[in-house]
Amino acid sequence: MRYAALGTAALLLMVLSANADSPMFTSRATIGSLNGEQIYDHICQGCHMPGGQGAVGAGAFPKLAANKKFGSWAYVALTVLDGRNGMPPFGYPAGRGMDSGPAHLSDAQIADVVNYVRSHFGNRYKAEVTADKISALPHPAAELIGPQ
Amino acid sequence: MIGATAGATAMYQAMSTLGFAAESPYEGPIDLRGAPRGASVVILGAGMAGLTAAYELRNAGYQVQVLEYNARPGGRNWTLRGGDRYTEMGGHTQQCEFDKDFYINPGPWRIPYHHHGMMHYTKLFNIPLEPFFQVNYNAYLHSSKAFGGRPRRYREVKADYQGHIAELLAKATRQNSLDASVTKEDQEMLLESLRQWGALDSNYSYVSSDASSDRRGFEKSPGGGLSARPIPSKPIALHDILDSGLWSGVANGDTFDMQTALFQPAGGMGRISEAFAKELGPLIRYNAKVTDIHQDDRGVAVTFSDTAGAGAPQTARGDWCLCTIPLPILAQIPMNVGPSLAAAISAVPYAAAVKAGLQFKRRFWEEDEKIYGGITYTDLPIMNIAYPNTGFQSGGKGVLLGAYIWGMRAMEFTAMAPPERVQRIVDYGSQIHPQYHKEFENGVAVAWHRAPFSLGCFGMWTSATRAKHYDNLCQIDGRIALAGEHASFLGGWQEGAVTSALDAIGRLHQRAVAQGERA
Repeated sequence: MRYAALGTAALLLMVLSANADSPMFTSRATIGSLNGEQIYDHICQGCHMPGGQGAVGAGAFPKLAANKKFGSWAYVALTVLDGRNGMPPFGYPAGRGMDSGPAHLSDAQIADVVNYVRSHFGNRYKAEVTADKISALPHPAAELIGPQ
Repeated sequence: MIGATAGATAMYQAMSTLGFAAESPYEGPIDLRGAPRGASVVILGAGMAGLTAAYELRNAGYQVQVLEYNARPGGRNWTLRGGDRYTEMGGHTQQCEFDKDFYINPGPWRIPYHHHGMMHYTKLFNIPLEPFFQVNYNAYLHSSKAFGGRPRRYREVKADYQGHIAELLAKATRQNSLDASVTKEDQEMLLESLRQWGALDSNYSYVSSDASSDRRGFEKSPGGGLSARPIPSKPIALHDILDSGLWSGVANGDTFDMQTALFQPAGGMGRISEAFAKELGPLIRYNAKVTDIHQDDRGVAVTFSDTAGAGAPQTARGDWCLCTIPLPILAQIPMNVGPSLAAAISAVPYAAAVKAGLQFKRRFWEEDEKIYGGITYTDLPIMNIAYPNTGFQSGGKGVLLGAYIWGMRAMEFTAMAPPERVQRIVDYGSQIHPQYHKEFENGVAVAWHRAPFSLGCFGMWTSATRAKHYDNLCQIDGRIALAGEHASFLGGWQEGAVTSALDAIGRLHQRAVAQGERA
């Protein structure tokens, strides 16, 4: 249990501070305003967990903290763009579908979140990724089909 | 030898290879006669695919062993009941505090009548079915941005949308706008059909009337005696229907998968896997985490560790392996298969989805709003509220499904700790049902990306990934075959798991028979 060592007050604070009183961001109308840190807090940490700690079950969500693969910015960027091993892609074309569809991030946002994870959680790479560098990478072409 | 196994098995293969089976390809119990003596299959995963395969292969004479990660059978065929505990990835544990007999199905919750495989096994195991109300005319369509945020009854929106469209079409017909596409004789019949279909008056207008109120409901409903006289209601204007976006919910019950009749097992979807598990007994090994899958020309060796205790890794062996492990997990397990299968395993992203069950002190949706079962659709992030399809008018408490969320919003709810998910779902739901805050008692919220046994809700294919990887995913690689909803054209449905398992074991059986008894 992750919180076993923490007191009740600390647990409550952690629960409430994550998104307290902030609106839901991830609608088509608002997702475009998220910066790298907000993208991490509202989307990525669902699997990669607060602090980039990752998690283990029958399979694992990779730990992003002090991750040696992060030396390659392109590896991280391609993972966000195209997905990897079950992780959904975020580089689909914008503008189609509804809020129930997959999340679309702009090239600038993908650059921002890549820079964020490569400079936090014990990773110390400088913010070298730009929207232009992301644009030059291959993007997934088609949107996913909807849920059943 | 292969001729001996023709029939239903070959038909599954033909249909699923071509991929145009609009309806479930299930055509009756599978025929696996002629299993080689002593042949064995190790099955990975005790979800619907693994359980179906284990049951049929055992009956056919194969030696079967099932490895299951969880301490329970079913995988995504799962019911959370009062007293259950659930720990998600990241370590949050939720205690389900529902009263006795209340539950939610965090995963699949409905069975269309034409999912013949699911219907077959529920009948086989004598599992009582209840009606699942996909469409309830008295449930709501809700937009937070229209009608002052007040929900409208499905009945009103459907009748008015349909009525206004009928009126427009009638107008176009009578103004001769359709002369080029409809003959004069047909136009007469078209006008009469529009009058009936749209509840129009004698002038082909959709107006407040007994006829339109008979669809959308009356201002004051007809009754008996002196207070009997009905008062018709006033339709919503076409502009307001279109502007609200509520028209998008009208066809929710029209897709093939959602058409009446649909069913749910009494007591929860998990009753199905529980029945399979009772039948299979010790053939299922629980708490087994697979760490390596290795095949050679003699068989398959599966290494696993016991999640409940320490102990050294153990090995299960079979002549063949049916692997139903969800792809995000399988992609991380070392397995010596060819590059095309390996690429397919890594190519399918898994959907985010969140469901929450909420217990309330009373069934206010029935008592106050006369909603008995069915689903309310909303543009709020909770997306759905589904009312229990059982226990009507039972008095006392009730549990409803407070949210069924997918897509990017599900990702955002997944990123929250469970208590915050529940709190926000209650807050949002109170915009539709103001009783929420007064009556709420407790809740649970399952985020599928954090499910330790699946790492997601279901596999999402595109036409491009289907073309490139689907057949490769389903092909037998040496002695290993995959099955599960991810290996089907019924993604996210249990019927996809069942039919893919039958298809795969049919082909494994053909190979086993062709190879004969082990040398």
